[in-house]
Amino acid sequence: MKKYLIILLAIMAILPVFAQKTITCSGSTTVLPIAQAAAEAFMDKYPSVNVSVRGGGSGVGIAALQNGTIQIANSSRMIKSKELSQAKSKGINPTGYAIANDGIAVIVHKNNPVTDLTVKQIQDIYTGKIKNWNQLGGTNLPIVVISRDVASGTFEVFNEKALKGAKVDASAQMLASNNAIVNTVNTTPGAIGYVGLGYVSSDVKIVSVNKIMPSARTVKDASYSLSRKLYMYTNGKATGNIAQFLGFIQGAEGQKIVENQGFIPLN
Amino acid sequence: MQKITLLIVLIALTAMPVLAQETKLSGEFWGRWTLENGKVPADSTDALLKNYLALDRGYLGFETKFSESTKARFTVDMFSTDLLEDGAGLKLKYGYVDFANLTPVPDLTLSAGLQKVYFGTIYDWTYALIGKAPSDEYKITNSADYGITANGYIPNGMGEYAFGIYNGKGYKKFGKNLKDNTKFSYLANLRLTPVPGITIGGSFMSNSVEREKSLTTNAVNDKYQDQTLIDALARFAYGPVDLWAEYLIKDVKHADAFASKDYSAKGLMIMPSINLKDITGYDVQILARYDSWDESERTDSSKNKLTAITGGVNYNFMHDEHMNPKMNLQLNVTSKTHDEDNSAAAYMNGLKDVMQVMMQLKWRFANTLN
Repeated sequence: MKKYLIILLAIMAILPVFAQKTITCSGSTTVLPIAQAAAEAFMDKYPSVNVSVRGGGSGVGIAALQNGTIQIANSSRMIKSKELSQAKSKGINPTGYAIANDGIAVIVHKNNPVTDLTVKQIQDIYTGKIKNWNQLGGTNLPIVVISRDVASGTFEVFNEKALKGAKVDASAQMLASNNAIVNTVNTTPGAIGYVGLGYVSSDVKIVSVNKIMPSARTVKDASYSLSRKLYMYTNGKATGNIAQFLGFIQGAEGQKIVENQGFIPLN
Repeated sequence: MQKITLLIVLIALTAMPVLAQETKLSGEFWGRWTLENGKVPADSTDALLKNYLALDRGYLGFETKFSESTKARFTVDMFSTDLLEDGAGLKLKYGYVDFANLTPVPDLTLSAGLQKVYFGTIYDWTYALIGKAPSDEYKITNSADYGITANGYIPNGMGEYAFGIYNGKGYKKFGKNLKDNTKFSYLANLRLTPVPGITIGGSFMSNSVEREKSLTTNAVNDKYQDQTLIDALARFAYGPVDLWAEYLIKDVKHADAFASKDYSAKGLMIMPSINLKDITGYDVQILARYDSWDESERTDSSKNKLTAITGGVNYNFMHDEHMNPKMNLQLNVTSKTHDEDNSAAAYMNGLKDVMQVMMQLKWRFANTLN
């Protein structure tokens, strides 16, 4: 009987080694381009490892990690106490790895003459108190408020840092991805939106916040009000191929990818 | 009356999306086949006691978010009943507002209204097996009640807590039953997860039932009770294995004139489960549950000592984006036996030893309306 038990335990111990040949990660759409590019480069370097990357939003990724259905949760915000508590009670120990710095860029249509907004003005725009660009020194044009959906970590960080927890006006368009925000702002002259720095293109214009533009320096020293870190969460300290993948992203090659994707490296 | 209630509910539900920033509509329904075989007091041989299909009840919920820190929840319990002319009824199960970040304490939420009772496992019971949480099944406390609570999470995922004041009557009582309430019920609940996968906790609740004396005659009420409810729980979760254990005490004291009716009831539940997803590729769980509930100190017809053992299989499918199943197919087999020496007049109280088979299809949905 003991012999069978030992064999069974040995099989159970060996199985995870084989299982880790595929790394599954999902979550934040902001982290998605970094994760995808890093996965491709990693798989080129280590062909025996398959890295599967999906989006969904930070909340979705963390829920999937809690349910044990993925190995890495990508998140553009820190895990919440509620999520951490629920995960730990299920035997999951979310452990965060910072992989990049990011600033949430406030973007407007490229023809919009407004170049700077204060945090208070952003709050007033998103809560519906300021409704026309002429109230901000711009042209007589109604403001079209574009926001991320509530499953988004970017929304949560923006809500905390810019809106101070205030309710987004009911007229705001809530979109499911950074790309959708950029596209809508590009095609809507009165629009204002916010995205991770890596999504900003020449089709839209970044406005400074409190007279500070998001840059490598202002994000790293946190003088830019809407700066944050991007994370990957694993169950416990990463081991095996997962540790190798995270080490790759945090290392020189991975941080170059971070930079190429328009985000700001850790150091 | 039912139609008026339904109309009010529909109007409220229609108006909510207009007023709130974001509204989620959710529902949960379950259809069940029940087969029961057992001994009846009049006949010592086994007899088929039940064999029927039913959809007894369902919940319809609305959650409205007024701001990132203020949200309200509204859940209607729709149930079938022979007691009402229409054969169906509606009750509010939940109707409360959560205020987060009102105090400097991080992750503390103040909840006011008809809400969960944070006692034992009743407030986050997931019905992994078809049966209710022990404190619900053995009528130790109610699953929802009118009250004010402070509930939250301990930093670093170390656990959760709740403190509350409730009516102590539950969500099903209103009218005279509720208005005879003279004492509030007080609750404290703490769960700690010192290391991932190991949770220990406990709950304490003091409660009273009915008035101590009649207002009109000043006669002592023999139904008056002071209840002290205590729960201790432990959970061990590692990989696909999940084990819950819960120990419950219900201490009941009557008015001095009826002190001979005082009793203490005790219960234990152990529920292990294993998820076979990693082995089979399907979200299949195998579960078991052992219950003992000892009310043998009672002197009335409810005196009994129950042992129940359940085995079950769940097949969870059609998962949502959070990987929670939208549908569950559950099969449970339960054996309930009562200790004859500790049952009032050897089962004349109607309690029967039974073997029960239940198969249930449960489905749930949740959509954001705006």
